[in-house]
Amino acid sequence: MSERPTDDLWERIEPLLLRVERPSRYLGCEWNAPRIAGEGINVVLAYPDVYEIGISNLGLVILQEVVNEIQGANCERVYSPWLDMESEMRSSGVPLFSLETHRAVSTYDIFGISIPHELTYTNIVNLIDMAGIPLYAKDRKEGPLVIGGGCGTANPEPLAPFFDLFVLGEGEEVIGLLVELVAEGRLRGWERQELLRKASGISGVYRPSDYEVDYQDNGSIESIRPVDGVPERVRKRTVDLDKWLYPKHPIVPFCEAVHDRINVEIFRGCTRGCRFCQAGMVSRPVRERSVDAVVGLVDTTADRTGHEEVALSSLSSTDYTMIRPVTKKVSWVCEQRRMILSLPSLRMDGFSVGLVSGLGLSGHGSFTFAPEAGTERLRKVINKPISEKDIVDAVLNAVHSGRRRIKLYFMIGLPTETDEDVEAIGRLVFILRDTVRGEGMAPPAFNVSVSTFVPKPHTPFQWVKQENLEFIERKQGILREVLRGRGINLSWHDSRMSTVESLLARGDRRLSGVIEKAWASGCRFDSWSEHFDYSRWEAACEKAEIDPAFYLYREREPDEVFPWEHLDFGVDRDFLYRENQSALKGETSPDCRGGKCLECGACEERGSGLVLTGTWSS
Amino acid sequence: MTVEPLRLRVQFAKRGMARYVSHSEFSRTLMLSARRAGLPLRYSGKYRPRMKLSLSPPLPIGVTSDCELVDFFLEQYVSPAEAEQALGRSLPEGIDVVRCRLMGSDAKPVGKLIDTAAYRVQLPSGAGNEGDWKRAVEVFLSKEVVSLERVQPRRTRVVDLRPGVHTLEARSGASGPGVELFMVLDDGTHGTVKPLEVVTVLADSAGVPAGSWKDALVHREALFVRRGGRLVSPMELGKHRPAV
Repeated sequence: MSERPTDDLWERIEPLLLRVERPSRYLGCEWNAPRIAGEGINVVLAYPDVYEIGISNLGLVILQEVVNEIQGANCERVYSPWLDMESEMRSSGVPLFSLETHRAVSTYDIFGISIPHELTYTNIVNLIDMAGIPLYAKDRKEGPLVIGGGCGTANPEPLAPFFDLFVLGEGEEVIGLLVELVAEGRLRGWERQELLRKASGISGVYRPSDYEVDYQDNGSIESIRPVDGVPERVRKRTVDLDKWLYPKHPIVPFCEAVHDRINVEIFRGCTRGCRFCQAGMVSRPVRERSVDAVVGLVDTTADRTGHEEVALSSLSSTDYTMIRPVTKKVSWVCEQRRMILSLPSLRMDGFSVGLVSGLGLSGHGSFTFAPEAGTERLRKVINKPISEKDIVDAVLNAVHSGRRRIKLYFMIGLPTETDEDVEAIGRLVFILRDTVRGEGMAPPAFNVSVSTFVPKPHTPFQWVKQENLEFIERKQGILREVLRGRGINLSWHDSRMSTVESLLARGDRRLSGVIEKAWASGCRFDSWSEHFDYSRWEAACEKAEIDPAFYLYREREPDEVFPWEHLDFGVDRDFLYRENQSALKGETSPDCRGGKCLECGACEERGSGLVLTGTWSS
Repeated sequence: MTVEPLRLRVQFAKRGMARYVSHSEFSRTLMLSARRAGLPLRYSGKYRPRMKLSLSPPLPIGVTSDCELVDFFLEQYVSPAEAEQALGRSLPEGIDVVRCRLMGSDAKPVGKLIDTAAYRVQLPSGAGNEGDWKRAVEVFLSKEVVSLERVQPRRTRVVDLRPGVHTLEARSGASGPGVELFMVLDDGTHGTVKPLEVVTVLADSAGVPAGSWKDALVHREALFVRRGGRLVSPMELGKHRPAV
């Protein structure tokens, strides 16, 4: 075994391990975990959820490898300690520690925290606190730079006071530049503030204290003012996927992770233009990875991990222009290695289902589709205009290929939704069941999962109000009535959870107090239904003197200044508003991969950012 | 000519941090390691191929071991030396190959074979003295019935440990200041007595407070098959029989 560094906390951690559930979460000696020298610039990257979820996050492992390839830099991981471990650590005075070398996070140069979604915010605050670092950036005189990244940076404002910096968009290039800057700062003896000021000059890096927010009497934002001569807006970064072939050495956990497989990205971005989808808007433009690069990554990572399944991941697999050739080649690799190929995020049409069935990819089990809404009218409003025929064909096809479970995702609380649209969800499921029967087949089990729509920043629906709890519960009642039948299981996300998600999603800096108070009152793991406590959030809002209705149930003015106005994720506000207006008229917009540019603004120049490996056909 | 199906029997050691890896995590880790090692593994199942293997009785979390046995079902021949090398390169820190041997397809898999385990329990230095433990061992061995309440997630019941304890001995520690206990226990096809269950009874009779021995280090030294009165290692079993 390698020599342990002197500041290793292992001796104090080890006695705790037999008292907690699944101690392997805290070992850090998994297969492919990097060997850390401990010298030079030390980075630790955190994921604010339990190990099994965090280890499945691609972003974290990509960035970890990128940093570890830089000479003189080390990158380790940390995940949220589970509740039992947190209480053991707190009562024995063990601070948050890195997995690989078990050193205190407070001794690192960079403490990067992934921000996956709103319901991890209390875990994020908890990570900072457990590390023994002052919660608020303004109170930090020393210690690591606390940097946020990931999807949650689309509107990081409620978290802004807790972070020194955020990285907007894709972090592969930025993290290297930050490491270099920290190294230079160490050499030249820069003060913390000077280092932060220089860091905020890197394109894609956002320093919240560079902007001051003024509010109007009615509570809405008057202006977001850059101070110190920084630019008006910070633009997110994107990278060329063929230049960043990571992860090359995915870490193989001891336990079964949520995604127990190799994940190889085939493209980033999506221009389908579903109006509720934040990921599709903020990750533009579409950039495909070449077929050879994909196949190469599958091949080498299969060797290095031993995994039995590989997923080609993206926001919509069958939109990859070379999907046929790539699946053919990858299937061949899989056959040689007795691996299964899976294609998550399937479009709901005959082509997608046919492709998957034709390849004989795991011919049984379940198939998941997301029609999102019950009527064609409402599906046009959200710009996911799948016809009923497509839905029926897809399900028939899936059942033909031997699937015995069909999972269907819907949302309620969408803009312009009526009771009829909700009832139509039930009708659609019965049509599907009867059609399967009509073809002389036994109907599969339908698992219908219904979530509550939450309007998100940088989407055409950023102006609309959140449907209130009472309405949502009434609509759930309708579904309970209409979706009764054998072989149909109805489930939904806790709508109170969606309410908290919605509050934070479009929140501003004033909500940081609510997050802190919710955390202080014991909120942790808010996305886990068994740990979510709505009453604590209500109490936190009251204590922080925040009226949630202002954020939740208010239609925004067309020209309202949003809390994220200064954060440029590519898509222009004008485009989003045009889309919003089209939605209300029930008009759809085409995918720009077909050739018609909608001038969303994501490409620096018309079409310049779009990277396709083949020819697009919708 | 069809190839005779074979099994590769591997003895692993589990030490250091790997002792916090649970049984199911250990089994998963070995499967993935065997795949990385490129062993010619056999699979069953049509849609979702499952690797065929058989494991020795589970090791409690926190216990180290010199003898974790696994039978990998093979599709074709591989030399044990080659397999040992390839596996050795593919295991995470704390898990090592001790040795490998090939078995015929008619051999009973380890999961259905093992019935006995030998353990060494190293007690912390503050936990009683050698004399106390020795007397407790004598009392234990002189009894015909040793009752203990076994608490399990779904049910709690009183069990008799005595028939499952084959040898038991206390010695002053060779590897540390504390007393060491050596025990050969039922583990596997005839039931399982856990080493800490025996320690619980002994400590109670020796008047050693529970808190003082909680950090005892438990180590599985070997696994056996009882044949008549003899303990035979599954790594040696049938070695002297003529080949089929």
